[in-house]
Amino acid sequence: MSGLGLGLPENASAHGHLIDELLWVTDRFDVVVVALLLGVLVLACVRFGRSRTASSDRGGSRWAIAKVVGLSLLLFGVVDGYLLGASLRGVDQVFWNFGAVEQDPRTLRVEVNAQEWTWSIRYAGPDGAFNTADDVLSLDEVRVPVGRPVLFELGASDVIHSFSLPAFRVKQDAVPGQLTRLWIEPARAGTFEIVCQQFCGVSHYKMRGTLVAMPEADFDAWLQEASRQARLAFDPEDPGAHWGWAWRAAR
Amino acid sequence: MSLWRALVSSDHKDLGRKYLWTGLAALALGGALAMLIRWQWAYPYVPVPLVGRPLFGGTGAITPAAYASIFTTHGLVMIFWAMTPILIGAFGNFLIPLLIGARQMAFRRLNAAAYWVFLCSLVVVLASFLVPLGTASAGWTSYPPLAAGIAAPGLGQTLVLFALLLNGAATVMGAICFIATVLRERAPGMHWFRLPLTVWGIFLTAVLNLLFVPMLAAATALLLMDRCLGTQFFIAGAAAVHGGGDPILYQHLFWIFAHPEVYILILPAWGIIGDVISFFSRKPAHWYRGTVYALLGITALSGTVYAHHMFVAGIRPLVGKAFMLTTLTISLPSQVLAFNWLFTLWRGSIRLTTPMLFALGTVFVFSVGGLTGLYLGGLSTDLYLHDSMWVVGHFHLIMAAATFLGAFCGLYFWFPKMFGRQLDETLGKIHFACSAVLLTAVFGGQLLAGYAGQPRRLFDPYQYEYLQRLLPLNRWTSLLAFALALSQGVFVWNLWRTLRSKVPARENPWEVGTLEWTLTESPPAPGNFAQVPTVLRGPHTFSATVLGTELGRDYLGQAEPLPAGVQEP
Repeated sequence: MSGLGLGLPENASAHGHLIDELLWVTDRFDVVVVALLLGVLVLACVRFGRSRTASSDRGGSRWAIAKVVGLSLLLFGVVDGYLLGASLRGVDQVFWNFGAVEQDPRTLRVEVNAQEWTWSIRYAGPDGAFNTADDVLSLDEVRVPVGRPVLFELGASDVIHSFSLPAFRVKQDAVPGQLTRLWIEPARAGTFEIVCQQFCGVSHYKMRGTLVAMPEADFDAWLQEASRQARLAFDPEDPGAHWGWAWRAAR
Repeated sequence: MSLWRALVSSDHKDLGRKYLWTGLAALALGGALAMLIRWQWAYPYVPVPLVGRPLFGGTGAITPAAYASIFTTHGLVMIFWAMTPILIGAFGNFLIPLLIGARQMAFRRLNAAAYWVFLCSLVVVLASFLVPLGTASAGWTSYPPLAAGIAAPGLGQTLVLFALLLNGAATVMGAICFIATVLRERAPGMHWFRLPLTVWGIFLTAVLNLLFVPMLAAATALLLMDRCLGTQFFIAGAAAVHGGGDPILYQHLFWIFAHPEVYILILPAWGIIGDVISFFSRKPAHWYRGTVYALLGITALSGTVYAHHMFVAGIRPLVGKAFMLTTLTISLPSQVLAFNWLFTLWRGSIRLTTPMLFALGTVFVFSVGGLTGLYLGGLSTDLYLHDSMWVVGHFHLIMAAATFLGAFCGLYFWFPKMFGRQLDETLGKIHFACSAVLLTAVFGGQLLAGYAGQPRRLFDPYQYEYLQRLLPLNRWTSLLAFALALSQGVFVWNLWRTLRSKVPARENPWEVGTLEWTLTESPPAPGNFAQVPTVLRGPHTFSATVLGTELGRDYLGQAEPLPAGVQEP
């Protein structure tokens, strides 16, 4: 698939391989099942297409029922069972394990407010508190350090948007009136695209942002300088400067 | 019968045929809208040939606003005004009384009124295209706050929501008639486990409609109030403000209807192919009761899986996990259905007629559709694939490919009974081959695009750098979609030829034993049965040795007495 220019976008997340593996295994299951099904359909048509007489069996015997139930349970147990178990482990241990990320002292917190058709980004700055004078603000560009957990808290001002990071295999809707969360850990430096993945109006397709993953030292230096500049530009009278919110921590 | 009498008739067969023509017309409209979407993804900003200028003005290229209206109305028209009337309106009306040995539908005036309310709803949708600011553009899901006025201020969105309410009213009216008919009007001896599977499918669809369409009506009515009366059920302010209502409440109301809607559309198709596979394997349906239990199980579970549509909407993890479990569980009865179909084929005497080919095609695309849905039922995989083209490919395989092939399976099979003429088999097989292959290829192309990360509903996917590599794939998929649309000309030609033909269909062209084929007239006269038959057995009695020796054929009618002294096979 990747030879055709298809397949998954290159993974940039420390945990993306969990989803990629799950996709990979389920792909194999599906291909095998579809091939078997097609084979049985064709074989039945070829083998029984010319037979003059058919069986008059109603398939109501215990053995006939056991075959159907047994095969169904087998397929269900293997394919659905695997997906259920692996999916549960994925969300419990990683993707929805927000408690651990909140407690991790290395975690970088970022507030994202979505509105037609832009992403407003806010970092807490050196004081660690949001909605203060040293907050670093940005539009449509998120800078993050490689190798540290990054926790996003998402809000929306107008309609529902979805903050999607295909290279990190995760997304989360941003919903007016509530805060939602998403976390990633960038595994390598690079520039990746932020996609709005929930239709949000005519220019939805232009609601594109970029996520720049930087080496940690570079990121720290950038944040410090950006915060210094932010304090210089801060105007308490500017209503546009106060869209942030107090971090809501784990619920 | 004059055209006027056919129009005002409340006879279930006339109503069925009216639903059929209306549904096929809407299918053509919805298909044309799909072609515009495919054009946009293949040739963005390029003027649409022939229709571009009259439709979009300027150079004739599709604009972002027009695109939003196109994909919104494509979904709505296909689901509510094409597949619903064909699978439920046409087959439900035409078949239920004939297959259960009833002389008429219960509450025939209510049933006739349902069609006219349905037609009004279609007229309102068509009118919405003509009003200033155009028709609805917030997606077929009409999520607020988007659909509550911010991004869709025009009258068109209001009209379409109102049409949805009317359509729901018509659906519920029809469902009441279907349920009452199956409960009360079955011929003597037509026990529940002697019903053709087609009747089971349509009956359970009617039950789901009666239960869940009111949920959609509630959501739509509240949304209309938010748009028109200044209420704030679904409108909320910015994160810091926390004002007003709850947009997520709408999603609960919507999806508790809209997930069962998948089963509402597929249950009639499942029923039809369950019968047809048995008929043309010349073999009783394998474990008939198991199939019925599976249909009942899916019906019961269908309202318990809906929140997988909301896995990334911010629901609690525990809720997500519970719905993952129910979602994966509903695949179990679906597998029972599939294995029963395969075991029915095995050791049969398979006749690859046009309806049989369509039935086998349905089995295939439905299975692929079901398997690709697993990824969306799993929480971790859904994080990546949610709201992508993968979702689009998956649900089109089920809600478009499987229902389409299932509907045409039924149409080719009952056409002789509906119109007294039989569609040409050769043209029918060509129609099947084109449709099955191209439907699979087109929706397969969408799956690939989604797997590679393309979100759904993008006017110009290539704004994103990581999607620019997908232009060739999308272009090929579009070309196949255009071929699919053109190939439907084979069916139109077949239809035209057959309806003008003077050659009457044979009385029982498929040599099967269900009640409708014991009636000599096609279509049957008003009242259907001169004498209501007494049903003696189930719908699939085939190939028992005694039939060959005693009757010289391989099937037995449901109400056909055996010669004295012959053991029931």
